[in-house]
Amino acid sequence: MLRISSLALVSLSVSACKQLGTNTDTSGARNVQGGAPIVADARIGTPNPPGAEGEWTMPARDYASSRYSTLAQITSANAKNLKAAWTFSTGVLRGHEGQPLVVNNTMYLVTPFPNVAYAIDLTQPGYPLKWKYRPENSQAAVGTACCDVVNRGAAYADGRLVYNLLDGHTVAVDAGSGKQLWRVQMADLNRGETITMAPIIVKNRVIVGSSGGEMGVRGWIAALDLATGKELWRGYNTGSDADVKIGPRFKPFYATERGKDLGLTSWPGDAWKIGGGAVWGWLSYDPTLNLIYHGTSNPGPWNQDQRPGDNKWTCAILARDADTGELVWAFQVTPHDLWDYDAVNENILVDLPVKGQSRHALVHFDRNGFAYTLDRATGEVLLAQPFVPMNWAKYVNLETGRPQIDTSKATKQGKLVKNICPSLEGGKNQQPAAFSPQTGLFYVPTNNLCMDFQSRPVTYIAGTPYIGANAPETGGPGNYKGEFIAWDASNGRKVWGIREPFPVWGGALATAGNVVFYGTLDGWFKAANARTGEVLWQFRVGSGIVGNPITYLGPDGRQYVAVYSGIGGDMGLLIAGDVAANLPFDVRERGTTLPDLARYTSWGGMLFVFAL
Amino acid sequence: MRAMHCLSLAAIFASNGCARNGDAAEAREPGIVRRQQQATPPVFIQHPDNIQPGVALHGGFAQLTNPFEGDRSRITEGSALFVSYNCMDCHGADGSGAMGPSLADGRWHFGGTAGEVFQSIYEGRPEGMPAWGGRIPDDQIWRLVAYVQSLGAGKDVSTENFTGKTISKMGH
Repeated sequence: MLRISSLALVSLSVSACKQLGTNTDTSGARNVQGGAPIVADARIGTPNPPGAEGEWTMPARDYASSRYSTLAQITSANAKNLKAAWTFSTGVLRGHEGQPLVVNNTMYLVTPFPNVAYAIDLTQPGYPLKWKYRPENSQAAVGTACCDVVNRGAAYADGRLVYNLLDGHTVAVDAGSGKQLWRVQMADLNRGETITMAPIIVKNRVIVGSSGGEMGVRGWIAALDLATGKELWRGYNTGSDADVKIGPRFKPFYATERGKDLGLTSWPGDAWKIGGGAVWGWLSYDPTLNLIYHGTSNPGPWNQDQRPGDNKWTCAILARDADTGELVWAFQVTPHDLWDYDAVNENILVDLPVKGQSRHALVHFDRNGFAYTLDRATGEVLLAQPFVPMNWAKYVNLETGRPQIDTSKATKQGKLVKNICPSLEGGKNQQPAAFSPQTGLFYVPTNNLCMDFQSRPVTYIAGTPYIGANAPETGGPGNYKGEFIAWDASNGRKVWGIREPFPVWGGALATAGNVVFYGTLDGWFKAANARTGEVLWQFRVGSGIVGNPITYLGPDGRQYVAVYSGIGGDMGLLIAGDVAANLPFDVRERGTTLPDLARYTSWGGMLFVFAL
Repeated sequence: MRAMHCLSLAAIFASNGCARNGDAAEAREPGIVRRQQQATPPVFIQHPDNIQPGVALHGGFAQLTNPFEGDRSRITEGSALFVSYNCMDCHGADGSGAMGPSLADGRWHFGGTAGEVFQSIYEGRPEGMPAWGGRIPDDQIWRLVAYVQSLGAGKDVSTENFTGKTISKMGH
């Protein structure tokens, strides 16, 4: 995920990049004003989430990761009347990825490092705090995290709020009092491990995973007991079958995923010990199959010549038994990754028709630019189509699940490979998509960036980056660097898109009022018609948006929409470091990827709440 | 692969051409490589929290002068070490800032004299800067100091002017 800036950026030829997947807006869809779904018979694939209809108790609202709310007071007819209702400063600058939770008329926020948690009383005028919790958190974590000191949020269950600290601890606090219940060290800073992801809670188990794919970590995912913090299982994503938790239940769909100890044998020597495969993205859970779905990060180092082989199980989607961590299936999205295409993006569990047959599907918009519709019971690829401009692969072979690579875009040590699309930020990154059963569409915040890539030898030194490549980025084809799109995962096609001047680095929210919401790096929070993509309303918040909107029902019975404002993450720290206006000791010059961004935004850290 | 790494490091150490006492022996077995062979690595990136920005130096670092100050060939060697020890992947190409702060802005969080920069590298700093003292030879640290000090020399980054061409209207 890390990007190294370089002053010597070679301007990329726009015309040289094939515009796969950039269909123009489907005018037919624009004429639909409510009523029938655009993709029929598509449903959220898991039961309703715990909590009331107006609550938001887990990062993506439900185990399916739909980010869909049935609240419908705000509609495509009245969204133009939205107004800012109240705001709250988190007291922290840096990238505010993630989202608040709302439970029992209380809103819970978690800030970027130092990872302060706030509980806001929604029943009182002025929204006073019930409590704030300031955890012990090692300052050394700040320089160990690759891509800003972000945190992607908390999960709530059984009166407990659980989240991860950047320095590698997982904490649980009493949701009523803010008192710390337990604090457990899960990751080791001295080996370059941090934690930025949001946990999910499944049957009194807290599921967490590591960050550090740029630091030569060995990625893992683990389950902790909600009551005590005791570790129940931990599965590594490289190494022996025993460590990866591959046993008799492991039945991957494709032949290339079968074989003994592939997590060892698909690496040279001991390279698997420092081979990445972190779990810094989003988690999903299917209660019927009792499977947890997670992606894994890039292999380390980026210099591919130091790790010949498939590098399993990096850049993969893994399905694990929630009780034991056993791997049930695996699908390596980008085998032997050459471009830093982590597969950690969210996996949205939806039942939908594919080729006339209803499937229990998992929909995944990968960094590599393909949108995958998989069978979530088996890992079979049902569909894979480009959802952004891309050129590194021609197509995904559905017989093998593997991409057909354009060899002219294959990176190699010492060779400067130009104009690879998407860039290492991916067609989509951490910004999560949403799904609406009303329309049957997925709402996907995307990037349109390309890169040059040159790798070089790198030595592993614990606690320092293990990368070995430079990859300057620039805008992709067309005069836009991001697009908020609606996607039909039954047919693998874009239905409409809203082009943005900057990558859309904030997540999506879909609501039953036929309204979808998203925010932009230049600080616009927008509501759009879910069927047509018409922008209905927008509001200029204080700092660029890299967080994910939520919606909830207030104690007054009104529907609210909340989102963090606070640019950062890869985009506000690495790509456009000059947006940081508050650091007298770290003044960065304008980058070449997003040279205008600092004109429109500076660092911030605010919650914005909107209502009719 | 491990062997290859050792070789590449050894080549760097050998190429520095330094003949000071102890350096040759150090070059054959650099601290980093030794460290990888230990079962329990010593603390590398943790740093005493009592060292804060703006606090007076201790231990006599401030009095140190760089034997290689302004020496172009040593600065070039320092730029190679900056890549080899993964400094670049933290601080960015040309020290322009990435995970770690910019070293090319002429601004210094912990002081910009030769002795202060040496101390930052030698002892590490609280927000994740590793302590390299005793892991790489002092004369290599001085080459890094010379390189790092050359990056921001004479720069004025105070003003960023946004007038003129901006993004064209997008959308929709």
